[in-house]
Amino acid sequence: MSVKTFRIVMDGVEHIVEVEELGGVSAPAPAAVSAAPAPAPAPKKKASAAPSAGDILAPLQGTVSAVNVKAGDSVKEGQIVAIIEAMKMENEIAAPRDAVVAGVSVNPGDKVNADDLLISLK
Amino acid sequence: MATKKQQEMLDRKKALMQGGGEKAIARQHSLGKYTARERIEKFFDEGTFTETGLFVKHRCTNFGMEKKDLAGDGVVTGYGKVNGRLVYAAAQDFTVVGGSLGEMHASKIAAAQEAAMKVGAPMVCINDSGGARIQEGVDALSGYGRIFYNNTIASGVIPQISVIMGPCAGGAVYSPAITDFIFMVQGTGQMYITGPNVIKTVTGEEVTGEALGGADAHNRISGVAHFSCANEDECLNQIRELLSYLPSNHLDAAPSYECSDPVTRADEALDSLVPENPNRPYDVKDIIEKIADNGYFLEVQEAYARNIVTCFIRINGESVGVIANQPKVNAGCLDINAADKAARFIRTCDCFNIPLLTLEDTPGFLPGTAQEHGGIIRHGAKLLYAYSEASVPMVTVIMRKAYGGAYIGMCSKHLGSDIVYAWPDSEIAVMGGDGAANIIFAKEIKAAEDPAAKRAEKLAEYQQMAMNPYVAAARGYVDDVIMPHDTRRAIAGAFESLKGKQVYKPRKKHGNIPL
Repeated sequence: MSVKTFRIVMDGVEHIVEVEELGGVSAPAPAAVSAAPAPAPAPKKKASAAPSAGDILAPLQGTVSAVNVKAGDSVKEGQIVAIIEAMKMENEIAAPRDAVVAGVSVNPGDKVNADDLLISLK
Repeated sequence: MATKKQQEMLDRKKALMQGGGEKAIARQHSLGKYTARERIEKFFDEGTFTETGLFVKHRCTNFGMEKKDLAGDGVVTGYGKVNGRLVYAAAQDFTVVGGSLGEMHASKIAAAQEAAMKVGAPMVCINDSGGARIQEGVDALSGYGRIFYNNTIASGVIPQISVIMGPCAGGAVYSPAITDFIFMVQGTGQMYITGPNVIKTVTGEEVTGEALGGADAHNRISGVAHFSCANEDECLNQIRELLSYLPSNHLDAAPSYECSDPVTRADEALDSLVPENPNRPYDVKDIIEKIADNGYFLEVQEAYARNIVTCFIRINGESVGVIANQPKVNAGCLDINAADKAARFIRTCDCFNIPLLTLEDTPGFLPGTAQEHGGIIRHGAKLLYAYSEASVPMVTVIMRKAYGGAYIGMCSKHLGSDIVYAWPDSEIAVMGGDGAANIIFAKEIKAAEDPAAKRAEKLAEYQQMAMNPYVAAARGYVDDVIMPHDTRRAIAGAFESLKGKQVYKPRKKHGNIPL
């Protein structure tokens, strides 16, 4: 499970906390950082736990440095859809086939583990 | 006009050549499969196949088997020529009781293996069998055992190639597993220890045979197979091509071919193929193409552990085995699967006198608990062991990153490389610059008024001093620093100079490679 970093402001004091979700699939980073304490990411529905064959998973642990597509985009096989920086290398993540992007599960700056869902295709 | 006895012989042969009969042959064809005899016909040079053991019969008397006549006992064996060179083959005949393996069926395969070993010719076994012939009980098992034993004894003596063109299930998988190369045909070739039915009964898991043990599963996921072919014609042709890179046995050299591509060909494009920025990936196959004769290579285990590339090329018409880090996939890291894949390929080449070319650009071993607990120490050791043990000519080209343990492991001078070249952008160092500078200059950085600026200054200093090929070259660990475009000429010359290489090592039974 991926560890996500959150910034929490309590009584005007900023805290950086790392939240690790156990027993579920890492959810996409929340759009806005909540001021409420310990904003646990909403767990995804169980149904989406198993990535389908068409989804693009992280090939290795690293940091997402770029996401080049958004939901609804058409991609061609071999097109670079994201970059994961790991082992001091900008690892290019290519679309495995011609498809339409169903959803993007990561944002630049996110840390990902191997096999984490990056982008789902339809 | 044939005499009566001559005619009887001709009639008997004609009947035996029909295999399992028209209906079974039609069924075989409907599955997109050729019969054993058609495969043999297509595989060998036209008209060169000589069959052995056509009249062999089973001698099982259990469960009504005494009344059954099985043509050739379900397997075609013999020898023929492939591009003019002698090759032995066995092809299981699925039209005869599902190609099931009984005592005499196995005996025919074993005889072909033994003959191939005696004369020093490659052995190709085409698997298409439902498994052990149940009626023959332990005699069938004994047959398998004999084949596995022969596979092991022949290992390193003659090239052994297994072809999966139908089911290959249960214990039967261990004959291919022991051989040097496994070819699988997509959609029809399947290998598994326990099939989908057993899995469903025992664990409840539901999986199709193809998903469990098809060509894709074994070429991409398990790493059991080496080649995945779209159909049987492509498969048979690819085996013929692979054989062209291999010698007939461990005492021979691989065949050499006329080379129309001048070894002095200098491809200026090589000078800019590797990005100057060490964080940028590239496709190492582009580099292999520019170096190889006619830009051609035959990749082995293309879909498995793609962070390392293993392939055969020719340099000046001679076979060379290439091991290359692939920066395009997982940063070109070494991991468990990459180490296993490379080590196996190195040993295959070393068995058969094929020189090795190593193209290095790797940031190192992949970190993480999955790797450590998966035994990267044990698996990575295979790579170092295989290189150190190899006695064929070895040339290494360091293209960019060569750090720490990975530098040593990727066929450094220290493990026995004969000639090491480095490109001017290469970084041969104990670790990446950031990490090294942080450790060496830790105190100074900490004490500085502006630690970030100090770190940058010290990093630049370290990079200038250590991240280059010249420190290693000063020690003689690198024989020369060359322009990338000069690589083809340099390695052709190196291999030429190494033709007479002899290595003397202490006598022993055999080494103990960490498995």
